[in-house]
Amino acid sequence: MLGKRLIRWLVAVPMALLALATIYPLVFTVNVALKTRREYVLDRFALTTSLQWDNIVTAWTSVGMARYFANSLIVVTISVVLLLLFGSMAGFALSQLRFRGSKALFLGCLAALLIPFQVIMVPLARVMADSGLIDTYPGLILAYVAQFLPFTIFLMTSYYKTIPAEIVDAAKIDGNTTYGVYRRIMLPMGTPALLSVGILNTLFCWNDVLIALLMMPSADHRTLMVGVTSLRGQYSANIPTFASGVLIAAVPMLMIYLFLQRQIADGVTAGSTKG
Amino acid sequence: MRSERLAPYVLVAPALLIIVVLRLWPLLLGVNFSFTGDGERNGTMVGLDNYLEMFQDATFQSALRNVGLLVLLLPVAVAIPGLLATFIYLRVPGHRVFRSVYFFPAVLSPVIVGAIFNLMLAFDGPLNTVLATVGLGPVDWLGDPGVAMFAVVGVHVWATFGMALVVFLAGFATLDSALLDAARMDGASLPQTIWHVIIPGLTRTIQFVFVTTMIGMLTSMFGLLYVMTSGGPEGSTYLPEYYVWIQQGQMNRPALASAASTVLFLIMLVVGLLQISVLRRAGRED
Repeated sequence: MLGKRLIRWLVAVPMALLALATIYPLVFTVNVALKTRREYVLDRFALTTSLQWDNIVTAWTSVGMARYFANSLIVVTISVVLLLLFGSMAGFALSQLRFRGSKALFLGCLAALLIPFQVIMVPLARVMADSGLIDTYPGLILAYVAQFLPFTIFLMTSYYKTIPAEIVDAAKIDGNTTYGVYRRIMLPMGTPALLSVGILNTLFCWNDVLIALLMMPSADHRTLMVGVTSLRGQYSANIPTFASGVLIAAVPMLMIYLFLQRQIADGVTAGSTKG
Repeated sequence: MRSERLAPYVLVAPALLIIVVLRLWPLLLGVNFSFTGDGERNGTMVGLDNYLEMFQDATFQSALRNVGLLVLLLPVAVAIPGLLATFIYLRVPGHRVFRSVYFFPAVLSPVIVGAIFNLMLAFDGPLNTVLATVGLGPVDWLGDPGVAMFAVVGVHVWATFGMALVVFLAGFATLDSALLDAARMDGASLPQTIWHVIIPGLTRTIQFVFVTTMIGMLTSMFGLLYVMTSGGPEGSTYLPEYYVWIQQGQMNRPALASAASTVLFLIMLVVGLLQISVLRRAGRED
């Protein structure tokens, strides 16, 4: 076991090195982003001496990252709100209400959970094109909602199952309709789960590139991640600007990591412990 | 009270509509689509032509070989976070910091990770510089057909082991600590403890991580491949998902892409059924 002190430190040293290897690529990128091109070419490892914030400004304004950022913000915000709304409505019905077909519906949801996007992307693109939704915000939003809804319903259903049926019954005796129970009881009581699932869905949507490439391909409509992939070709000779663009795209998720790490972990583990 | 009777259906209606129209229906459409032709033969049934063409395509063969490689590397990708979680659970010095630091790449998009590692793995980049100081390399990480796939999988593991680590730690929280104390009293060594106490106690978690890691490898490496190698060099880093994208997005061969999707679906179905059986068994244990 790890009883002896020497062994504990023998394990800790490689783990610390691994931690360093986890952090270093990001530190390297930050450092490069703040260098002049000349500094980068001369010595890419030395700490930046000039602190070129201009690179970040250039990436934000002239490269178009601001536009891509706005696109991502719009699409992700609306997608996550719709996911939480539809997911909690269905989760409430499937966990607390009795109605014909509820079992079949939950199984259908589980089945949909097993269909990866790559498997349906060709026909989905055709359905979207036929209905005029390709390369539009609603089209991409619908694709995200469809992709992550089964997972959202699954987690919301298992969370709502932990709420005793007596609470719903009592609320109904007090004169609430089913919709009233949803609004006054289920939404407030579901806050912790909604927060976890909401953060995870934000990560999924914000970080996606495949769905966005397929659904909103034109240059004007690029989301932030699609924008980053196009940076590579444009700025292969100007690595500091490239690194700045990459950092801008990473900042929102790094913020979520710094402040909401526990909620992400809760969401991830909820999937593993609730069958 | 008619509205009350209808309420459950109203609540599930949006979800039901979206899932049926945008997930289940396209699946059927796609399978059907894979038996039709592209281009001039658009819309006509061509039987198994797409499948025959695909299995003779060198890049698709490379994609299937790489799936085999992923299966072989799977135990490593599960063992790394498992072992690290064990040490963190046994409170190695600095375990809180490690736990938190290891998780950080998990929040980054594959696109960001790929872009960063394009810099790290460049021929004159940091990794080769470090290797040079100990007299090794340089290695053409992304340009050598024999190395590139391992490099991409390595980056994928770097980016995702933190997620699996968190799942393992949640599993450890359910482990009976009295068993570990007993093992310590009996003077069990670390390997003995792992083998006889930890692995049997965490069967369910280990199975879950196996399945989710495999799904992750099959469906969330697109961003890395797109940014780091574009399937190259010499088609050595193709995966089925990348093949689907190229045929659909670049080659304008949607029917052929649908055939590749269907094969990917069959692979995922096997993994998925495995997952369900694991969940079932887990349900019975509770």
